[in-house]
Amino acid sequence: MVETADLVVVGGGIVGCSVVHQLARLVPRETRIVLLDRGPIAGATSGSSMGHLMVTPDDPQSYALTAASVRLWRDLQARGGGFDFQDTGALYLADTDEDAALLPVLRDQFTAVGDRAEVLDGRALRSLEPGLAEDLDAALFYPGDAVVLPMPACAVMLQEARACCPGLDVRPGCAVVGVDRDGDRIAAVRTEHGAIATRTLVNATGVWAPALAELCGAPRLPIFPRAGNLAVTAHWTTPVRTQLLEVSYLRFAHGAAAVDPTRTDDPGGHAVNVQPQSNGSCLIGSTRQFRGMDRTLNPQLLRRSLQRAIRYAPGLAAAPIVRTWVGLRPYAIDKHPLIGPWPPVRGLWIAAGHEGLGITLGPITGRLLAQQVVGVPCDVDPQPYLPARFCA
Amino acid sequence: MSEARVLDADVGVIGAGPAGLAAARRLAAAGLRVVVLDEAPQPGGQIFRQAPPGAPALPGGEPPSHHAGHELLAAAAALPIVWCAGATVWDAQPGRLWFERDGASWLVRCREIVLAPGAYDRCIPFPGWTLPGVVTAGAVQVMVRGFGVAPGRRALVAGSGPLLLPTITALVAAGVEVVAALEAAPRWPALRALPRVLGNGARRREAFWYARRLLAAGVRLRWGHTVFACDGDGRVQRAVVGRVTADGRPVRGSERTLAVDLVAVGFGLVPSIELGLRLGCAARHDAVRGGHRLEVDAAQRTSVASVYAAGEICGIGGAQVAAAEGELAAAAILADRGTVQLGAALPRRVAAERRAADALLRAFAPLPGLHALATPDTIVCRCEDVPLQRAQAAAAVHGGSARAIKVGCRAGMGPCQARICGPSLQALATGAADRVMDLPVVQVPVKPVGAATIVDAPPG
Ligand SMILES: Cc1cc2nc3c(=O)[nH]c(=O)nc-3n(C[C@H](O)[C@H](O)[C@H](O)COP(=O)(O)OP(=O)(O)OC[C@H]3O[C@@H](n4cnc5c(N)ncnc54)[C@H](O)[C@@H]3O)c2cc1C
Ligand SMILES: Cc1cc2nc3c(=O)[nH]c(=O)nc-3n(C[C@H](O)[C@H](O)[C@H](O)COP(=O)(O)OP(=O)(O)OC[C@H]3O[C@@H](n4cnc5c(N)ncnc54)[C@H](O)[C@@H]3O)c2cc1C
Repeated sequence: MVETADLVVVGGGIVGCSVVHQLARLVPRETRIVLLDRGPIAGATSGSSMGHLMVTPDDPQSYALTAASVRLWRDLQARGGGFDFQDTGALYLADTDEDAALLPVLRDQFTAVGDRAEVLDGRALRSLEPGLAEDLDAALFYPGDAVVLPMPACAVMLQEARACCPGLDVRPGCAVVGVDRDGDRIAAVRTEHGAIATRTLVNATGVWAPALAELCGAPRLPIFPRAGNLAVTAHWTTPVRTQLLEVSYLRFAHGAAAVDPTRTDDPGGHAVNVQPQSNGSCLIGSTRQFRGMDRTLNPQLLRRSLQRAIRYAPGLAAAPIVRTWVGLRPYAIDKHPLIGPWPPVRGLWIAAGHEGLGITLGPITGRLLAQQVVGVPCDVDPQPYLPARFCA
Repeated sequence: MSEARVLDADVGVIGAGPAGLAAARRLAAAGLRVVVLDEAPQPGGQIFRQAPPGAPALPGGEPPSHHAGHELLAAAAALPIVWCAGATVWDAQPGRLWFERDGASWLVRCREIVLAPGAYDRCIPFPGWTLPGVVTAGAVQVMVRGFGVAPGRRALVAGSGPLLLPTITALVAAGVEVVAALEAAPRWPALRALPRVLGNGARRREAFWYARRLLAAGVRLRWGHTVFACDGDGRVQRAVVGRVTADGRPVRGSERTLAVDLVAVGFGLVPSIELGLRLGCAARHDAVRGGHRLEVDAAQRTSVASVYAAGEICGIGGAQVAAAEGELAAAAILADRGTVQLGAALPRRVAAERRAADALLRAFAPLPGLHALATPDTIVCRCEDVPLQRAQAAAAVHGGSARAIKVGCRAGMGPCQARICGPSLQALATGAADRVMDLPVVQVPVKPVGAATIVDAPPG
């Protein structure tokens, strides 16, 4: 007898877990949802990232999306948490006059959308964070950001989902190796451990989304891996409590990428991002480089990012580095995630392409996708995120 | 910020235990410039660990193997070898070794590398094993022989394998009363292996020396017993001991409580292969020799050109094997450089030493039943304070691989990078007692070093 499922979600990262979480709340209790991942749950990008829940003021649209998602994170925390949620806010730091000039601009962007942020002088900065370098004389504090540990958050989402849909079937270590179609519609998913007949398939496979789309007979999605190096220090060594970001981070991470993501000779770049964890260790990032699926560490970029972090928080110089690693951000060519149906193949849905904001955007992505699948109004206008924008 | 420094050499040796010492001696005697790097403050490695200069000798003398060690140390000291004590190697590439010493960042540029970083203690979690006063066999050696301190007054020694013997004698020499010495393995396989082991002259002398010392101290080894749990107020005060089945399962109802202030546990050793993995050397699992070990050919060459390995990194085997392999690695380097011919005698001697060592190790096969000692709230990962039940929950949701358990509950993410918990973690979390751990994924730094050390690292 062929196994059947109402919904198959492929990819057990933060996005796939969130899709399952939000679907389970909207569908009838007896709905059969299967979540498949080739490796562990949260074992790929979502287990290699930082956990900054970042409200981005770049433009009203991304503000609306990130702020809505961080609200969902706060709700999840209020219902019981279990993922090291820390309400730290974020400090945007400036090292040059040019960057310092950005601080009030950034503050005004927050104000313009009805939020607030505060420009601090050197004194106020050091009374908030005595561990920062003496010569820093300006920063912006934004209280709305927070930190989570993404991996247990995935487990919490799946646990809540199971409470809504007891039949939820989570299968780590089960790769999708093929997809069968019946004309233009999804008919079955073939896994390394057998086939599952289904009419609805959600592709939440991050940097692998193009490969899975191809298995579905859809053309290559414009999502490219963008590598990031991270380092973590030993416990109780962090010299700061607030998350630190160079203000140039926004330009660097979200601004127009000067390089072509298909290039293999991208020298890469970095902007400081220091993130204290609840155990007193701290994550030090972050670098960005396009070089395909290569996950070997780039020692030059690592060295430079550590050096810059020490420049802001000198106490990090002596902090033992316990490990470093590389994660692959799923970068969508127009810098917006893909959330919605893929019209040429009926029953195929996509939730992928969140680059460096997938942890932040996980919950709202799950919600927008679930709302579209079930056919109820969306919390946030999904139009800018519809994958159909890439269907020529 | 620290200064950057560079050393140039023909061969860089990591580890100043018997393997590294033997390799360095032979290479230096042949006229090559050798740099030896070791984290410890004194050369000698685990077995020939030396007391700090000026410290009084321990009573009771030393086992015969240590005389060989002194000879090795003296011979090596007489040669123009560059010794770097207190040097932590944190990254390696063929021909390049990066190390930290006194906060400074150093690079060794060399042609060949000899990996001789030894082994770690294998830890089996049981209730109370993280209490102060519960220490590993390795820690006993460091405290007694390295620092000359008695770590307690009344000790229980428990575990499995030949390393229990030096642990007991070190404690006795330090004036500690050993109230019980428990070997978890059944007696018969060990007795059956005896003729093979005693057939080797050096091993026979070593065994008799330990037998005499134990007799003189009135310590009797109890087979088929182990420690079930420890407790105490702030530090260990009591140990519950009992009988185990032939595969190590605790026999409930056989428990007895001992009043002790020290519990020394040693369940064998695990090869320290991280540097080899970092260099890209092939490794394989070898249940007899302690777990994952590097693969080497009959002349100690790893799968990576110009990288050689000797001693416990090639599988647990003891000091005699380590010294022989170190010498062979050096001979292979000289042969590969075209200096001298390798010959057949040395490889033959190493193979024979390995066979004898394997025979002994087989008598102390891993006892998967010991994993039943841990209860749901027994800590399985000390660095991240993860109790067994959390590791089990993580495995149930995220999967049973090392990566899955790690992302699910942080076990293995701390400063030791799963060196301590790794060998037992997957078996414990998945409930498959004999599950073999995944090969670790090694990243830089191979051992924790300050951020400034990485920033200041001289470019290769
Ligand atoms: C260094 C770094 C720092 C970051 N910091 C932050 C931050 O601070 N804040 C933030 O919001 N975001 C951050 N991000 C971004 C964030 O991590 C990602 O956007 C997010 O994790 C993407 O999640 P995902 O679920 O789409 O992908 P993944 O977590 O990669 O999940 C995709 C899953 O699909 C599975 N899969 C693939 N193919 C198949 C198949 N054929 N069959 C079955 N399963 C398959 C994979 O095994 C994988 O588990 C960071 C990223 C990096 C690399
Ligand atoms: C606690 C303990 C007690 C032992 N007692 C005995 C005994 O009595 N009899 C016996 O036959 N065998 C004993 N052994 C086994 C013995 O260690 C080995 O047989 C023998 O020492 C192996 O030699 P080796 O050279 O491979 O490693 P080791 O002697 O362990 O030497 C390895 C050296 O490398 C150094 N090192 C490792 N990694 C790095 C790095 N990244 N950077 C810098 N330095 C590094 C270590 O500090 C160590 O000094 C014992 C082992 C242990 C752990």
